[in-house]
Amino acid sequence: MVLLRVPSRVKAGLFFLGNAMLGTAAAAQAQEPPKPPQIVFNDSGGDMQKAMRDSFYNEFEKRFGIRVVTTSPVDAGKLKAMVESGNIEWTVTEIGPEEAMLAEKEGLLEPLDHKIIDLSDYPKHLQDRKYIMPKGVYTTVMGYSTDAFPAGKGPTSWADFWDVKKFPGPRTLRDSPIDNLEFALLADGVAPDKVYPIDVARAFKKLDEIKPHITVWWKTGAQSAQLLVDKEAVMGSAWNGRYFVAIKNGAPLKIEWNQGMIKESAFVIPKGAKDAYWGQKMLAVITDAKAQGIYANIITYPGLNLKSMEYVKPELQTFMPTHPDNLPKQVWTDAKWWLDNGKDMNERWSKWILAK
Amino acid sequence: MPASAQIAERRQSRMIPVLRGEQGPVMVGLLPVAFLGLLFLLPVLRLFLLSVEGGTLAHFDKAITSDLYLTVFIETFRIAAIVTCCSLLMAYPVAYVLSTASPRWVLIGLVFLMLPFWTSILVRTYAWMILLGRNGVLNQALLGAGVIKQPVALIFNTTGVVIGMVHVLLPYMVFPIYSAMLRVNRDLLLAAEGLGASGWSVFRRIFLPLTMPGVIAGTALVFILSLGFYITPALLGGGKVIMIAVLIEQQVRQFLEWGFAAALSCLLLVIAVLFYVLLNRLGRRETIA
Amino acid sequence: MNDATPHVVTAARGPLLSLSSIVKRYDAVLAVAGIDLSVQDGEILTILGPSGSGKTTLLKMVAGFEQSDEGYIRLGERDITDATPASRGIGMVFQNYALFPHMPVAENVAFPLEMRRMGQAQIKDRVAKALALVGLAGYENRYPRQLSGGQQQRVALARAVVFEPPLLLLDEPFGALDRKLREQMQLEVKRLQRQLGITALFVTHDQEEALVLSDRIAVMNLGRIEQIGTPFEIYAQPVNRFVADFIGESNLYRGNVSAVAQGRMTAEIEGGLMVTAQTATLYPVGSTVGILVRPEAPRTLGDGETADNVASGSVTEVVYLGDAIKYVVALDGGHDMTVRWPYRPSTETLQIGTRLRLGWSADLVHVVGWD
Repeated sequence: MVLLRVPSRVKAGLFFLGNAMLGTAAAAQAQEPPKPPQIVFNDSGGDMQKAMRDSFYNEFEKRFGIRVVTTSPVDAGKLKAMVESGNIEWTVTEIGPEEAMLAEKEGLLEPLDHKIIDLSDYPKHLQDRKYIMPKGVYTTVMGYSTDAFPAGKGPTSWADFWDVKKFPGPRTLRDSPIDNLEFALLADGVAPDKVYPIDVARAFKKLDEIKPHITVWWKTGAQSAQLLVDKEAVMGSAWNGRYFVAIKNGAPLKIEWNQGMIKESAFVIPKGAKDAYWGQKMLAVITDAKAQGIYANIITYPGLNLKSMEYVKPELQTFMPTHPDNLPKQVWTDAKWWLDNGKDMNERWSKWILAK
Repeated sequence: MPASAQIAERRQSRMIPVLRGEQGPVMVGLLPVAFLGLLFLLPVLRLFLLSVEGGTLAHFDKAITSDLYLTVFIETFRIAAIVTCCSLLMAYPVAYVLSTASPRWVLIGLVFLMLPFWTSILVRTYAWMILLGRNGVLNQALLGAGVIKQPVALIFNTTGVVIGMVHVLLPYMVFPIYSAMLRVNRDLLLAAEGLGASGWSVFRRIFLPLTMPGVIAGTALVFILSLGFYITPALLGGGKVIMIAVLIEQQVRQFLEWGFAAALSCLLLVIAVLFYVLLNRLGRRETIA
Repeated sequence: MNDATPHVVTAARGPLLSLSSIVKRYDAVLAVAGIDLSVQDGEILTILGPSGSGKTTLLKMVAGFEQSDEGYIRLGERDITDATPASRGIGMVFQNYALFPHMPVAENVAFPLEMRRMGQAQIKDRVAKALALVGLAGYENRYPRQLSGGQQQRVALARAVVFEPPLLLLDEPFGALDRKLREQMQLEVKRLQRQLGITALFVTHDQEEALVLSDRIAVMNLGRIEQIGTPFEIYAQPVNRFVADFIGESNLYRGNVSAVAQGRMTAEIEGGLMVTAQTATLYPVGSTVGILVRPEAPRTLGDGETADNVASGSVTEVVYLGDAIKYVVALDGGHDMTVRWPYRPSTETLQIGTRLRLGWSADLVHVVGWD
């Protein structure tokens, strides 16, 4: 309702903003496609969707007067079905890093329009992305209950995580080979820069050791932190934002950044999406340093725009994977390796889970 | 000749009106047939075509020869069978109580039975965790009473999966049995009793056989639904229980391998249909009367 | 079933079943209000009553499906008041036969024998005999749904008598049959009962059926037995207004006794009609009574003919019954009288509006108390 009342103001604003943002504003303005009443953004839902709403969606609506309708969850299969059937519901969708590469390989994505999306404040190696828009980072970190282990006396490496004598109690890890194979190698003493290509046999052999102590292989982000809160497990892995939200809500948890697996979160435009132009504009909003800062303040997933850290609250800085204290301790996930090996690893993982 | 003629005649009389050429029922039947054809048969056909994409049976070959998928198929049946048995054991008495209860209690009972349908899987999982978790009510009580020294693992394993699935599937077992029980003429039970049957004999010789069609319908429903379960085993199994739907979903959503997913689905469908045909045959023998 | 020569039982041999002071309440409703009843060995006793009279409840208590709140039930020498249905050993035929639909005929009939753990050979033999008795030899492998109503009825009978119970209960067993079949089955049950020498307690709301089947009839109303007696007694000498009204078609008038003399009494029916009755029970002058005239009692009087009772009127309705014709005659005093005469092709059917004089003798008038 509110939106219906603002278009005239927004139009005026748009003109100036457009000039400020785009070098070729005049040309772009001339051939700009008509505005749809709304675009559809598919994200992970839950806490993350709330954070997206308060940062990027509201900002986009304010700038362009186009409503952002949200759907969830993230589903590469659905993306494929949409593109293949030509009935594309989404304008923009979030997507897992390996799945994004798979989708790019299968030709399911619309190329990024670098005339609209400005990546000049991004790290150098990300600036020439063709299809996959890097939004931010997140890390699969270790966390533990400070009830079980007082701060400073908790596990600080995956070797500690594997050491059930020194740190007794049930554990939880994600039900997926991703991260876990890396953790196993790190626990087995492999140097962080030697993790890839993964020595699969060695990793599974090491995983055998911890298997009896895993009480739950978690499936959803919400589960991962809740299991520690409910004392079903004393330590585990989780995406850093999930632990942060639990800690913010008073849970006695601590995040251990050492040997966390850091990775990129990605957004893409499905090939042939109806309002692809406005999707590009949406992605442009997502690159905005201030909006990324607001987002990070809510859920501690920082943006990749290097200037966005300026907008992150000082007290939250240490919860960010990109904080100078945290970043060097972590290991970058090799999405390419997982693209090439993911299917085999998952089958092997399932077999391993079922093996007695 | 007389025997076969008799059978033919009976078959004729049993035929649905559509086949006897009456106009009204044809029109009535057309809509559901079109509905099923469009929304079920067509997608199934497409699924099948996907599974043999490229004109090879490579997907089926992989599905059948890979020990992972075979193992998971077997595990899926094992869990479906356990869930079906547990549901049956619980549903039969529940249905019996409902079939003898006053309308008000029937309503209350049905509401309780339907509760899991109206609760999200996450809420249900969380509730089971509170009850059965390591620090759950039950474990605390048992620890407190000194019955056990260590918390017992009641969820995040096969037990948890069975509990969660039975909870959701119970109504599918109760309703057919309940309706079969309602159809049993109570005079038959009195008659049997009057003819000298003990309570147990009345149950075994009269009540159980007469409610068998409901038992078979419920068993078919629960077993077949169990085969396709995905979220409950994922959440309550603690990741240690893998059912075939999980792997199919992975192929569809994560690896975009629709051909292979379709092959797995076709196998599951064929097995479900075979099971249904088998049960149906059994059911026909039971309900011959 | 006895292999001995079928013996015909007409005379009673003493009470087989006796009910004493039986009371049954459902919440506040008194379904059976203190009943005493004896069924003689070898007789067919029918409990006849309208629906809601408590007759089925009474039967269920005899079978053991309901518990009486007060009173005793004895079967022969045995007190069965608290016995389980299974231990009573009573045969019962249900309203809808209650055949087990999932068992073929032979299994249905064998059921009570199996429950008595009889040997297979003996069971086979007995089942064959029972089925032969009801004329269903060769139907062993049919399922109940493959049988006609009459055949189902016969299976139910065979099943109820195959274990030679001393007492057979029948709960409205002919209700679902068409008229012709019903009459046939009634006679068959009577034949079977006599052949087997079995005692039968029979419940029905159909008075015609009761008259056909019974050695004695107990008329039940509102949880009580109004009258018990032979069909003739019940029909010809009802003891009160309910029985008079309920049994048979009747002309029942309310009247005041105006004179009593020499075993006869005269009562005045409102509207001025005087009726003279010759009955065993005489009511004092001035009391209110019910005057019962059965439809077959009056005849037409020719000119100059006379009778104990005479009334004139005109025909208002003609009902052809096949073997009889029924007329409704509006009497000059303002009352209707239904008359029924056998139909003969030679007699001329009266037309509506025909005037006629009706006459009937005093011994065909029955008087009952009004209250």
